[in-house]
Amino acid sequence: MNIKKSIILNLRWHRRIGLSLFFMVIFLALSGFALNHSVGLKLSNSKLSSDWLLSWYGLEPAANHGFELNAGNWLYQADDSKLFLGNQVIAQCKPPLLSVAEFEQQILALCDDALIMLTAQGQLIEKFTRLQGLPEDISSITVHNNTVYLHGISDVFAFDADRLTVTPTSIILPSSNTAPRPLPRALKEYLKVQGLSSSISMETLILDLHSGRFFGDAGVLFIDIVGLLLCILAITGLWAWVNHQRYRKDQG
Amino acid sequence: MGSVLLTSLTSPLVIAKGFFQSGPDFIAEVFQQQPNAKVLWLTDDIRENAKVILGRPVKGLRVRYHQFDLTTAWILEEIGKEMPITIGVVVTDNEIARVKILAYRESRGGEVRYSAYTKQYLGAALTDNNRLDQSIDGITGATLSVWAVNKVAALALYYHAQVTQSRDST
Repeated sequence: MNIKKSIILNLRWHRRIGLSLFFMVIFLALSGFALNHSVGLKLSNSKLSSDWLLSWYGLEPAANHGFELNAGNWLYQADDSKLFLGNQVIAQCKPPLLSVAEFEQQILALCDDALIMLTAQGQLIEKFTRLQGLPEDISSITVHNNTVYLHGISDVFAFDADRLTVTPTSIILPSSNTAPRPLPRALKEYLKVQGLSSSISMETLILDLHSGRFFGDAGVLFIDIVGLLLCILAITGLWAWVNHQRYRKDQG
Repeated sequence: MGSVLLTSLTSPLVIAKGFFQSGPDFIAEVFQQQPNAKVLWLTDDIRENAKVILGRPVKGLRVRYHQFDLTTAWILEEIGKEMPITIGVVVTDNEIARVKILAYRESRGGEVRYSAYTKQYLGAALTDNNRLDQSIDGITGATLSVWAVNKVAALALYYHAQVTQSRDST
C-alpha cells in the first residue's frame, strides 16, 4: 500500500514537472541542435538588423554617422572595420573612423590605428600606420593652404602625403567642424537591408537565449532552475520505474 | 633532406602578441645613413605577379621602401590566420639579408619572430616562378604564420627586383 502511494505521489510530481518543462525542453533541444551545427547553418554569418534587438544589447546600429564628401558621396564605417564609399567597400581599418579630409584628388580617412589614403574614386593608395610613424592620439585631419594637418590632443603636425612624414608645427589653424554627421536615411535603410548595420550574429543570439544570458542574471537563474528540474524529472522517472517493479513483484 | 620542425619554439607559455619595433626604428637600424622613402607604383604586371605570390590580390596602389645602393628595405603586412603580421625585410643584391617581425597580432604562432626562425631566410633568392629558392623549416602550431612570412619574403624579393631592374634600365 505504501509503495502504491509512493508511486502515485512520485508520478504526480513527475507529470507536473514534465508538463511545466514541456516548452523549455523543446526550445533547449532545438537551440542546442542549432548551436551544434552553427557552422553548417552559417549562423555566425547571419547578422541582426532589428533595432529593438540591438537596443536590448545596448548597441546602436554601427553605421549611423559618416562624412559627406564634396562630390556628395558618403564615407563611413560599417560591419566592424570596413570602410564604405557610398555602397562600396573600399578598405578596412580599426574603428572608429575619426575624421575625413580631401586633398589634391585624394581622400584621407583617419581611423583609430591608421591614416588611409584613397583616390577620389575610393581606390586604396596606401595606409600610414602607427608602426610607420603616425603619431599617437591623432583625432582629426584638416587641410589648410594646401597642407594637411593632423590634430593631436595638444600638438598639431603637418603631414606630407608623398613622403609619409609628420612634422610638429606651432601653426594656429582656424576652427573647423570635422565631426561625423548622421547618414542619410536611404543609406541607413540600405545598410539595414544588407545586414551591415550591426555586429550581433544569429549564433550569439541563440547562444544567449540557450544559456539564458539574453535576459540577464534572472535568465541564467531560470535556466539553472530548468536544469535542476530536468535532473529531478530524470530521478522521479527512475524512481517511478523502480517502484513499479517492486509493486509488480509484491503483487506476485 | 627532410624538414626539421622547430618544436623547441612552441612552448604554450610564449606570449605571441606584440609590437616589437617601429618602422622608422627598423629602417634606422638597417641603414647607416637613413635614406628617404621611395615609392614603387604597382602596375598591372606587378599586381598580377604579386597576386600569384600572395595568393590574393594585393591592396593599395603603391608600396613604400627605402634604398641605399643595392640594398632595399620593405615593411609589408600579411595575414597569418586572422590578423596582419607586420614584417620588415631587407634585400641586398636580390638575396634576403634580414627578416624581422615588427608586429604580431595573432594570439598564437608568434614563434616566427625568433631569430632561430628568421635567420633561415638569409641568402634566400627568388626562383623563376617567384618562389623562395631555399626550403624554410616550419614551426609546429604556427603554420599559417610561417606561410605568411614566406609570402612576404618572396614578395619583397620580387619588389626589390622591380625597383633595381628599373634603376638598371635607366
